[in-house]
Amino acid sequence: MANKYSWPEKPVLIGTAIKRLDGPDKVTGRARYTYDINRPGMIFGKMVRSPYAHARVVSVDLSAAEKAPGVKAVLAYVQPGAQVMYQGDPVAAVAADTEERSLDAARLIRVRYEVLPHFANVEQAMAPDAPAVFPNGNTRQGSAEETGDLAAGFAKAAHVVEATYSTHVIGHVCLETHGTVCEWDGDKLTAWISTQAVIQSAQGFAQGLGIPQANVHTITQYMGGGFGSKFAPDAQGIICAKLARIAKLPVKLMLDRKEEHLDTGNRPSATAHIRAGVTADGTLTAFDGQSWGTGGAGAPSGFPLPYIYNFPSRKRIHKDVYINAGQQRAMRAPGHPQGCFLTEILMDELADRVKMDPVAFRVKNLPPAAPNAMWAEYFARGAKAFGWDKRHATGDPAPGPIKTGMGVSAHRWGGAGRGSKAHMDITSDGGVVIKCGTQDIGTGTRTIVAIVAAETLGLPVSSVKPEIGDSTLPFSGGSGGSTTAASAMPAIRVTSVMARDALFAKVAPTLGSTPENLVAEGGRVFVKGTPAKGLSWKDACKLIGTEPISVDGQWEDGLSGSGTSGVQFAEATVDIETGIVRVTRILAIQDCGLIVDKLTAESQAYGGVIAAINFALFEDRILDRVTGQMVNPNMEMYLLAGMSDVPKIDIMLNNMPERGVIGIGEPPTVSTASAIANAVRNATGATIRSLPLHPHRVLAAIEQEKAGGTN
Amino acid sequence: MKSAGVTSLATAVTTATVAEAQTGPRLVGPGDVPVTLMVNGKRLELKIEPRVTLLDAIRNRADLTGNKRVCDRGTCGACTMIVDGRTVYSCSTLAIEVQGKQIRTVDGLASANGTLHPVQQAFCDTDGLMCGFCTPGFVVATVAVLEKHPNATREQISKGLDGNICRCGTFVRIMEAALKAKQVARG
Repeated sequence: MANKYSWPEKPVLIGTAIKRLDGPDKVTGRARYTYDINRPGMIFGKMVRSPYAHARVVSVDLSAAEKAPGVKAVLAYVQPGAQVMYQGDPVAAVAADTEERSLDAARLIRVRYEVLPHFANVEQAMAPDAPAVFPNGNTRQGSAEETGDLAAGFAKAAHVVEATYSTHVIGHVCLETHGTVCEWDGDKLTAWISTQAVIQSAQGFAQGLGIPQANVHTITQYMGGGFGSKFAPDAQGIICAKLARIAKLPVKLMLDRKEEHLDTGNRPSATAHIRAGVTADGTLTAFDGQSWGTGGAGAPSGFPLPYIYNFPSRKRIHKDVYINAGQQRAMRAPGHPQGCFLTEILMDELADRVKMDPVAFRVKNLPPAAPNAMWAEYFARGAKAFGWDKRHATGDPAPGPIKTGMGVSAHRWGGAGRGSKAHMDITSDGGVVIKCGTQDIGTGTRTIVAIVAAETLGLPVSSVKPEIGDSTLPFSGGSGGSTTAASAMPAIRVTSVMARDALFAKVAPTLGSTPENLVAEGGRVFVKGTPAKGLSWKDACKLIGTEPISVDGQWEDGLSGSGTSGVQFAEATVDIETGIVRVTRILAIQDCGLIVDKLTAESQAYGGVIAAINFALFEDRILDRVTGQMVNPNMEMYLLAGMSDVPKIDIMLNNMPERGVIGIGEPPTVSTASAIANAVRNATGATIRSLPLHPHRVLAAIEQEKAGGTN
Repeated sequence: MKSAGVTSLATAVTTATVAEAQTGPRLVGPGDVPVTLMVNGKRLELKIEPRVTLLDAIRNRADLTGNKRVCDRGTCGACTMIVDGRTVYSCSTLAIEVQGKQIRTVDGLASANGTLHPVQQAFCDTDGLMCGFCTPGFVVATVAVLEKHPNATREQISKGLDGNICRCGTFVRIMEAALKAKQVARG
């Protein structure tokens, strides 16, 4: 139902490509991230962490570190008798006047450990004779989810595929590591923190330190990537604040790269043993899956399974397996890339059994089309744009070692968001400030806040000053689940409309009209239908007087939506002599409701695709199976794509203004790895049911296919 | 392609050998020693330990925080600076080793009146950045590629930027930015 807050029918700014407002600050290095905050008298904190995957702390001796040059504060984070459950579990910390001296002093903290049995992988943890490592059991069996008659489903099936599929653990690898700068003024704490949740972090500090939230001020003007891993102060934030309190000096404590890998979250592994049935004409009948995965030391590993497609009868049971590694955290579309991969590889195998084209087979087995389920349309559009008709059957018949293939995959995501508040001031000099306690994690939030305000007031984006990233601003939630835009934009719109109407009330008498009859467009306020009968924005604002227009508004229903869908196509080449996979083309079709800024929305889609190329081809957290220690806690052995690895990527965004703002951060990263793996299968004829597609694994699958078949 | 201070280190070793024959090895440190750096045309007089890297010296002691510390071992390129015309990983270059050399960081690329360098402008225009933490390194590396190859091909740009990593996935737009900046620079 349209009301005065509804999105404009003919927007001037919304949906166009608008440059990031903070681009100039970022390209010049002027933007100050938490890592860049240097305060007068500031010293440097350094944590000491368990080198063992599992141990009991016998003693922590701080005395040598206390006497080391430049040391201003030392603390033990755990007491003797406590257990450390993974390499990198925090134990103690120190702060010294230079960063180099803080490293020296940290080495002087002597911790004695009693090493205990550990699990470095799920096989060790699931072994029948595994020792009891976790107090409430090494695994946690979920309850079965079941719909339909499984036995009848399999009875109807002409073909059954039975196999085991899996995805691996990867890390968030935020370029700006987790960390804070903490400074006390009496009993009041100011914390610059690299976070996706500036206000929630203030709450986290208050709870962690046992102080009133009113005494905590958190600031996040710029942050260098989170991807789901930065929602709280964590141990390092609380330790930083405590070191600052002891030293009575500001402390900077940013994790180093190794700590970032060990203790700031990861995407859990996922494995499923699946039986699935299909009729001769290509209709899915039954799905029976037993899945497990590890989210590290005592953390869950759930994911949706089967994904998207319509299995009339299905059963699924999941088990969390605990190993001695850092705990998982939400990572860009948590659970979905895993469930998508496990299902989409299976789908190509089933399609081959019934000799159907993978696109036609998928379309046949989709749930009914809906605004949040547009796959059938996207499959058709994508197939045409991508040249899917040129795809050969499984196994490239071309001579020579380089084989080419195409693959496809579909995904969904929820998005949505609510609850944000905002405040707008309009002053008599024409100045506009819009305030909201959200944060820009690289997605362009600062820019779209300004776009919505400017659109509503009929001003250029540059005439609006957005203020975000500070816990003293009106409430907005953390940036997770692709909810930021859907939560904050309605609040900005409502608040801006209220402020605009307040201005109309001030201006109407002068224009000899009523507030309801005024419009604000093109930098002017004028009587509807009579542009000449109006005032410039500046002149209109002069009527405001000394007391500014100052309004508070909040999220309202009807301006945002939930549920998105997308489809991706991939083309890849495989060198069957080396096993090296190169992605050559990706097409991503994605909706996200109302697009606010086309430029930054597309950037998000590019970013999601590239993140998933990393997931498919490069990244892998490798734990030594004997010691449980991470083999590659760095950026040279933990691989990530560079410029030469990035293929041609085409993004097709489907703007759906009628659905309101939804969100796009996560969905574009779900399908890519599955589409690539299916392209590799199409190229080589070998089915690779597990990620990553590292050369030795690809070669092994090709060899296995030659020896007797992977299919 | 970047040298992680290897070239300068080799030079220093050779010089030391010559000096050694006459006077024996010159020891500096432990503790703070005077180090003079020429950064963005300005002289920086620092008192730092010999183990302090160029990146840390500039970020922590001179408060020039544009270039970032990310991998801290010469892999990701966020710390990329131009030293005597060559890109280096400043996280893996000792400050004491680059005395007397011309050091350029991202902080010094825009003109004094605030006008952006054409590469910086192109990054803004094409949205060649998201969180922005890798951006300073990419901007400096792009400037270096285009100074070396004013007529750079897509392949040359790709090779020149392969020493940098972006986690948000802005590569497509960075390539657009580099190609656009090339045209601006050529007029």
